[in-house]
Amino acid sequence: MSEKLLEGTKKILEYFKKRGLKGDVYGTHDRNISYSVMKGEISDSSEYEDIGFGVRVIKDGRIGFGYCVPGNEEEGVSRALELSKLSPRVDINLPTKRDLEAVKTYDESIKKASNEAAELTQQVIDGAGSVAEDITPSRGQLNIMFGTKVVGNTEGVFFSEDASMIEGYIAASLPLGDTSVIASEFAHSRKPDIDFYEVGVKGGSKVDSMRDKTSIPTDVPVVLNPSSLSMLLWFGLIRAFNGENVRKGKSFYRDRLGEKVAHDSFNLADDPTQDWGIGSSSFDDEGVVSFPLPFISDGVLKNFMYDLKEASKSETESTGNGVRSSFKTPPGISDRNVIVKGDEISDLCYDRVIKVDGVMGAHTANFASGDFSVVATPAWLVEDGEKRGRLDGCMISGNIPDLLESIEMGDDYKKLHLSLGSTSLNMELPSARIGKVTISGK
Amino acid sequence: MRLQQILEKLIEQGATYCDIRKEVWNRTSMTLKDGDLEAMVQGDERGAMVRVLYDRGWGCVGTGDLQKLEEASERALLMAKKGAKYKKEKTGLADVDTHTESVKIPMKKNFMDVHPEEKLDLLKELHSFFDEETANSTDLRYNDSLVKKEIITSDGSHVKMEIPRLLIYLIITGKSDTIQKASEGVGSTGGYELTERAFDKAEVVQERLKNLLKAKTPPSGKMSLIMDPHLAGVFAHEAFGHAAEGDLVSSGNSCLYGKLGEKVASEIVTIKDDPTIDSYGSFPFDDEGTKARKRVLVKKGILNDFILDRENAWKLDMQPNGGARAEDFRVKPLVRMSNTIIEPGEMDFDELVEQVDKGVYAKSSSGGQVSTVQGTFQFNAQEAYLIENGEIVTPLRDVSFNGFTLETLQNVIGITDEMQIGIGHCGKGQTAPVGDGGGHVLISEVTVGGRE
Repeated sequence: MSEKLLEGTKKILEYFKKRGLKGDVYGTHDRNISYSVMKGEISDSSEYEDIGFGVRVIKDGRIGFGYCVPGNEEEGVSRALELSKLSPRVDINLPTKRDLEAVKTYDESIKKASNEAAELTQQVIDGAGSVAEDITPSRGQLNIMFGTKVVGNTEGVFFSEDASMIEGYIAASLPLGDTSVIASEFAHSRKPDIDFYEVGVKGGSKVDSMRDKTSIPTDVPVVLNPSSLSMLLWFGLIRAFNGENVRKGKSFYRDRLGEKVAHDSFNLADDPTQDWGIGSSSFDDEGVVSFPLPFISDGVLKNFMYDLKEASKSETESTGNGVRSSFKTPPGISDRNVIVKGDEISDLCYDRVIKVDGVMGAHTANFASGDFSVVATPAWLVEDGEKRGRLDGCMISGNIPDLLESIEMGDDYKKLHLSLGSTSLNMELPSARIGKVTISGK
Repeated sequence: MRLQQILEKLIEQGATYCDIRKEVWNRTSMTLKDGDLEAMVQGDERGAMVRVLYDRGWGCVGTGDLQKLEEASERALLMAKKGAKYKKEKTGLADVDTHTESVKIPMKKNFMDVHPEEKLDLLKELHSFFDEETANSTDLRYNDSLVKKEIITSDGSHVKMEIPRLLIYLIITGKSDTIQKASEGVGSTGGYELTERAFDKAEVVQERLKNLLKAKTPPSGKMSLIMDPHLAGVFAHEAFGHAAEGDLVSSGNSCLYGKLGEKVASEIVTIKDDPTIDSYGSFPFDDEGTKARKRVLVKKGILNDFILDRENAWKLDMQPNGGARAEDFRVKPLVRMSNTIIEPGEMDFDELVEQVDKGVYAKSSSGGQVSTVQGTFQFNAQEAYLIENGEIVTPLRDVSFNGFTLETLQNVIGITDEMQIGIGHCGKGQTAPVGDGGGHVLISEVTVGGRE
């Protein structure tokens, strides 16, 4: 564990004690190594190391935030204390000391992998380039991250955890006359157990299957790959489980706990206790011990998610969903490690379907209604399990809650991680087959 | 060790080129939700990035610990040497004029001197502006940041700059048969004086929500589209500007690759990217120390220039134009836009509408996405109206449209004689503040994706 991180956290807790304050500290020490790919080769490498502390002071029920770097801890506390004077009173109960059940989030061999990052990046490039001579691994990236986070508070909590992650992404392009087509593949893991050559081969093979074009059918079901499904669920559904949206009437699931909201076999949960889950951690960023939280079980709506502040406002308990995007931001409500499961059908393309490998514009979904309209790309028409041609400009519109009523789930589970502005998506889920959509395009 | 000495040592060790970008940040942010302070955060941080080019390889190391700068420079050199072993294609940096200069973007009223309580009161005043009948929930955000940068390069530039930015973002939600959200941002480079513009935007956003609450779901299919200046600017940025980024062009990841000098748009279309105007995406020098200048990307329909940093200018045998931007000291500069504008045309708004038999008038963006390789785009408008027989008739909600960028630019048949610039944040793995705007733009045909 980082000595500076430990010392800084203890210093801040000491300042709290000296000044008779309540509060907590969220400290992180991260190292990130990246190799970029452009036009079939490594274009550059970069790295950063970052350490800092988010400070939350509670004085007379008023909360103030500040952040600081090592050596500046007292100023961080003073700044937070000053700002707390402007805050309204909110009764939040900081968690008390509890035993942690360790969740596996760190693999020591990541450090060895970080020294081999250039070789691993080259493997992705070689894999994509091996598929056909006219396919170029045009863009890509390999990231290796590891670090430590600490949460300490004035109620005796002092938790720390190491975490590691490795991810690889490759976009392979294929020139077709005046234009080009592109497809991508990626993999994420807490451990350096990814076959990067295979990641490249998959990316190359996808674009290889885009040589022929066909017209867009408008009356067939759609099969979304795990990545496309994750984007639609994250932007169009997950925020409906956010306790603040529920309290304020911005969730279409308000007042529906215990009701059937999805197909009988559909299950969706936030489980940060899953070993090696990309978003797993034994405690949240407010020091609340993690536990699995089902949102939808066998089609029935079970729970909403809360951080400490919203739990107080909604007169309930935190569900361990207090998440900070960095030490510079205060905690907010967020899912952490979402697991989606269904009836595990091995082949979802069992008749004539549109198979979708990516969606553009999922972030424009109306989270309050669940309405969405996205461009499916890459997408193919599949008949009897065979790709009959790619579909250009295929637009799919629908409503997420409606889709869940008849959704069929596959068995090709994949772990996903995506940084989305100030937050991140972490999910494990398979492909899904959906109907009830409007399809438009040429 | 001083910055200059670190660079000299790297060159002695065989580096072809190196630079250091040192930054000191001060930030304040606050969020007022439904009239209550949700969070107010203040903090500062400092750090630096060292970039080293060794033969064909780049190594870039960022650190938040300035005492470790020499260590970071050694690591960057090591990474560059390793990267060079894997790189077959030669690389280099196009020449630029060197500068030794210190520039401050002025603040009429320094936001660092404004007490946080005054900033909070401003948000409270904005909250009280909104009519509770329409906006039953408000989410109002204030952010200011001051960054002091020092960039020193091994080929002789040494620039210092101070860039203050202020942003107020207004998000309001209302409910009719469905929940609808409207938002607007106001801000620029500059000081606290920019907050005066926030109340005008509050009016705009309230009116937008009123219309959304009585709006219907849109039709789907091919039809004409009029984009308001903000959406037209976002279109210019997303669909065209990204494809004009030099790194994507030089690596073949752009539909504009090999098309310089060719007709890529209707002859009434001129698109500029200009970091020197007074807007949110402005800066005096880019993050390689190159002086910022205006670039005319499309001139009367002809592809005229790209956005270029020094390396991609070298690869394309063109002139760098100050296109390198980094989010902060943790990350390397990427080729990024600044303020992207579709130049005003000659028509007035009524003339545009009269030309549409069936179409959509779309206002302001709620997001979009592009594929620069395939030249495709998808956008959502925040606010929209159905146009029938040359008249605006019905408010629409959740309007989304898509198409092929170059085909769509060829289909531009009218631009109004006006200029409005909006603000936004662009994501390309890193976030960059940007401006975008122009006049109203009429496109003869795009695909609208509705549920009807």
